[in-house]
Amino acid sequence: MAGRLKRANSVDLSMATIAVIVLFLLPAPLYFVAWVSFSGEQFLRVPPRSYSLRWYAEFLGSSKWMYALGVSVVLGLVVAVVTTATALFAALAAERMRTASRGWFELLIMLPLLFPAAAMAIAMRAVNDQIGINATFIGVMIAHVVICGPFAYRPIAVNLRALDPATREAAMSLGASPLYTLRRVILPQLKPGLITSLWFSFIISFDEVNVTMFLVGINFTTLPVQTYAHLADSGDPIVAAISVFLILITLLLVIVLQRTVGLKMLVNSEARMDEIRKGK
Amino acid sequence: MRRLTDPRLLAIPQLIFLGMFLYGFVAITWSSLHPEGTFTFEIYASFMMQRTYQAILWRTIEVSVWTTAICLLLGYPLAYFLARARNTELLLLLLISPWLVSIVVRTFGWMLLLGNAGVINRGLLELGIISLPVRMMFNTTGVIIGLVHVLLPLMVVCILSVLVKSDRALEEAAGSLGASPVQTFTRVIWPISLPGVYNGMLLVFLVAMGAIVTPILLGGFRQTMVGSQIFQEVFMLFNFPRAAAYAVVLLVVSFVLVIPILLHDRHLRRKRNI
Repeated sequence: MAGRLKRANSVDLSMATIAVIVLFLLPAPLYFVAWVSFSGEQFLRVPPRSYSLRWYAEFLGSSKWMYALGVSVVLGLVVAVVTTATALFAALAAERMRTASRGWFELLIMLPLLFPAAAMAIAMRAVNDQIGINATFIGVMIAHVVICGPFAYRPIAVNLRALDPATREAAMSLGASPLYTLRRVILPQLKPGLITSLWFSFIISFDEVNVTMFLVGINFTTLPVQTYAHLADSGDPIVAAISVFLILITLLLVIVLQRTVGLKMLVNSEARMDEIRKGK
Repeated sequence: MRRLTDPRLLAIPQLIFLGMFLYGFVAITWSSLHPEGTFTFEIYASFMMQRTYQAILWRTIEVSVWTTAICLLLGYPLAYFLARARNTELLLLLLISPWLVSIVVRTFGWMLLLGNAGVINRGLLELGIISLPVRMMFNTTGVIIGLVHVLLPLMVVCILSVLVKSDRALEEAAGSLGASPVQTFTRVIWPISLPGVYNGMLLVFLVAMGAIVTPILLGGFRQTMVGSQIFQEVFMLFNFPRAAAYAVVLLVVSFVLVIPILLHDRHLRRKRNI
């Protein structure tokens, strides 16, 4: 760092100053959430007058909250697998399309990203109402697969396009069937893309609330939606304890991704998205 | 049998999901035009006639424009810094972790900070800087602060993805040809990063336009944005056709507003290809 600073110019320095302040402030609200989660009081107050772990105990001991947590985890896993499989199939299909139709196909896949959540929420609710799957697991799952689609497709498509076609051709010319080639040659090389895709889908599904809150019901709800609902009508610190729990899960997942494929993958697939959106 | 093994058929599951999503938009457009079973334009007419509806839309646009501008102002330096930093992975961890925490949690954090009895007001009161709490929540300021916090990392990731790819040799060339750091930035780095900037602006703006939870929790139900209004129509007023009409208006207005960005972006790309 020191060597860099020596030749840092005015632009670099002012950018770095703002950057460091922003990086420092970004997690700031979360510190306060963690602080009040240890409150021993009945109501939210910063700073709390007494400290205890009672809200953690309440959260972990409540069947209502544990049910919502269970729903969110199972939903996240199912959505991750379904979205990643769908995206993998789509990426393999796109590879065989002509350039023009592939451009349209990929634009279509990116479309959910460009639709404001509020509009998406109402549209998915209308669909679920008509099929009769409102307030069910399957209804929320379909909406989540649609929302996660662009995020799952990108890393896989980027990875697939970066593969050396020679490995595949070699396998085929040695007599491997297309399916065998896919399983033994292509899929192993797609590991980083698939992991990123699974991971992204899980985390988006696990955290999604804007659209999901329109699709749940009294007997079926997810943890973020229930947290929102609780926050909107009462002010007890259990929300803080749950939040800390959610923060820890997220942190754990980020570290897992960092250890397996590296966080650069997020930036790279984002770059690719830029190209896809322009129909390159 | 050959047709059944066409690899392009693998696109079908994806197309089914996308089909359901697109069908949803047809369904809400239909619903907004048939509030009582028969065709009528009445909901849209009332949008055009009544000030309250227009105020909601204007507030949404205003908040989204401010959010996008502030995200760019704060996000660009951060992306610039990250692109140059040596330990990118660690810094990315700092950026990405809060980004992926549920928006409910992050908005809740801001409620603790911005409320009348929140951390900031109590701090300022104790220091004697103010004598009455400053209203920072249940107005557009609170919503903008919350949305900037939610969307800043998205902007950074978009800009960063372009800056990471850009060739540093160009900057060095500019410097060795006598350009000042400021000139190098305005003439070389900024133009190169424009596609990322546009991408970020587009996404941040669209997400801000459609936000629901943050406007509800930090803005309340008295001065709603389209997102929180839709929530209110569905869950408090039980008027689905009007919620659908809001969604249609939101969609059309959002797309129309991002057209200038898309056009300039295309213009730039054409110019560079030549």
